Amino acid sequence: MGIKDRLKTGIQKNLNLRYIKRLLGIIALKPVLYAYGKTFPSASDKYLNIFTIESLKKAYSDNNRPIGYGSLFIPHELFHALGITPFLPEVMAGFTAGLGLAPQTLKEASSHWYSQDLCTFHRSASGAAELDLFPRPDYIITSNLACDAAQKSFYIHSVKHNIEKNFYLIDVPYRYSEESIRYLAAQIKNICTDICSKTGKKPDISMFEETFELSNELRKWAIEVGSLRKNLADYPSHFNGLNFILPFHGLAGTREAVILYKEIYRDLKKYSDKQCKEISEKNKPAKRILWLHLKPYYRNEIFDILYRENCRVVFEEINHVYWQELDYKKPFESLARKMLSNFLGGSIDNRIGVILKAAHDYKADGAILFSHWGCRQSNGGARIIKDSLKKINIPTLVLDGDCVDQNNSSQGQVKTRLQGFIEILNS
Amino acid sequence: MYTCGIDVGSVSTESVILDNKNNKIVSYVIALTGSNSKNAAEAAFESSLKKAGLKESEIKSIVATGYGRINIPFANKNITEISCHARGVVSSFPDLKTVIDIGGQDSKVIKLEGGNPIDFLMNDKCAAGTGRFLEVMAKALEISLEEFTPIFNKTSDKVDITSTCTVFAESEIVSLIGHGVDKNKIIKGLIYSIADRVTTMVERVGLEEPVCMTGGVAKNLGVVRALEEKLGVKLNIPDEPRITGALGAAYLARDLH
Repeated sequence: MGIKDRLKTGIQKNLNLRYIKRLLGIIALKPVLYAYGKTFPSASDKYLNIFTIESLKKAYSDNNRPIGYGSLFIPHELFHALGITPFLPEVMAGFTAGLGLAPQTLKEASSHWYSQDLCTFHRSASGAAELDLFPRPDYIITSNLACDAAQKSFYIHSVKHNIEKNFYLIDVPYRYSEESIRYLAAQIKNICTDICSKTGKKPDISMFEETFELSNELRKWAIEVGSLRKNLADYPSHFNGLNFILPFHGLAGTREAVILYKEIYRDLKKYSDKQCKEISEKNKPAKRILWLHLKPYYRNEIFDILYRENCRVVFEEINHVYWQELDYKKPFESLARKMLSNFLGGSIDNRIGVILKAAHDYKADGAILFSHWGCRQSNGGARIIKDSLKKINIPTLVLDGDCVDQNNSSQGQVKTRLQGFIEILNS
Repeated sequence: MYTCGIDVGSVSTESVILDNKNNKIVSYVIALTGSNSKNAAEAAFESSLKKAGLKESEIKSIVATGYGRINIPFANKNITEISCHARGVVSSFPDLKTVIDIGGQDSKVIKLEGGNPIDFLMNDKCAAGTGRFLEVMAKALEISLEEFTPIFNKTSDKVDITSTCTVFAESEIVSLIGHGVDKNKIIKGLIYSIADRVTTMVERVGLEEPVCMTGGVAKNLGVVRALEEKLGVKLNIPDEPRITGALGAAYLARDLH
């Protein structure tokens, strides 16, 4: 049994906070961590795993640094600038799926009256919280941007830990306008001032300088990765652009995220230089797939099938860099602009615009929208997205499934739909 | 030269042998799948060979389709039922635009352009809108599936079956019988219930004529009529709608060369 399987089995058998802390204490030791990192096929995968474990270690360690729960669509630069360790319950729900813990966390959520209709990212995270598997938060910041479930389920976390006074809900306006920016910036400033008054940190814009510089650096490298991928004919089989949610969001504003995105760029560039010419001469070109929304985080065959059938995911909607550079001299306005620029907010036209441009820029032959059970913000637009792509002759497969709960879809049915779609692309 | 297509479905397995010289079906077999799809495929293949008076060595290639397609080691290739059904119907109806297939545990709608599939939709994990739904209801009503069509034809009124779930629908009809509701009206309601489900799927993909219906449920003329009424179109039915997938697979096996 390899180290990854041993980790999985260990945590499945000892599902409690003490064991998680002990495990992180061992695996996050530098020699162990770097030995573990060597088990990954590329430098970017190695750093992704190392930085993920290090960030979890920070969140689970008993130091005096405050912990902040943040939903996916808030700017996590805020936490980093305030010296708060971010913890992302939705990303953790993805880990529960990857570690095979979701059946237990979902069962726990059900027994606490969480509806079966609630998105399993939130249900599994809530179940894990009920099982006391998460570190205790000091602050919780969420928003009404795109995801409705976050506002509600994150508030329940604050009640559980009796920190309702440290729960902040950012109200993001529907439309992008200067008035909206002022409204949003004022809220972010208030949150910042309130947290500073509680932590004793002096509210000063200088605290944003380094974080924003690193965030801008991440942005620059993410754009570089995207530009490289526009003309990349092939990919290493282990590459999956849907794995980088934590660094793209939760680690935005850290040195680790910058290192990681530089490594992704280097890995793909190296592969492109070495392999692409040879591959394109020998084989017929791969079908280029645009991936919309997320993927299942439990073990599944989707990407193996795509790779085997000579289809490559050339871009993922979630990796779109939608925001402008942040200016530390105008921190609240910058973060407000970042949130308001998110294409998942406001009208569906914002999202469609991004998808159509990506389909064009990345020369997509087809698109797959993974329709995650309970995710209204994504599934609600499925029909209009499919129709919009059809107008530019790009077929779309709306693949119904669940990112976290493997029992909520049949692998055989997913496989048939996927293969049927590939046959259409090849016909 | 001959090719063979084998469609391993959840309820039945079909094997079709095609003479590639004249595109004529030499033989076909429809058998129950049972618990072992691999054995069912082997048995159906052997029976179809025997029926055709051919030896295995005379079959140039085999394409497997259906849910059990990946478990047929003697097949040269496996292709999904989406492509196979599309290929199977265009051999009979070349200008076809929409295919409705209702099988044992699966219903699908395929949109075609120039004989090729361009879009499709399959039922979700629920058995509603499939042949299994009718089977379960027939059992609950203690009648055979063959009786559905004559009852549909002679009954003018229907009772709405509101439950989508097969299990709940079964409870609902048991309750209706308990309340003394006419069995024939319940049967007519069940047929419309399946037609409603499938109509929604067709509308999602986009209805375009000509339309064809395949699969075991296409033998149930009550369902065919209810669907025609709901969709407002005439449905073309192949001579043997149950072998469409296997026939398409046999054509696609021919195309391998």
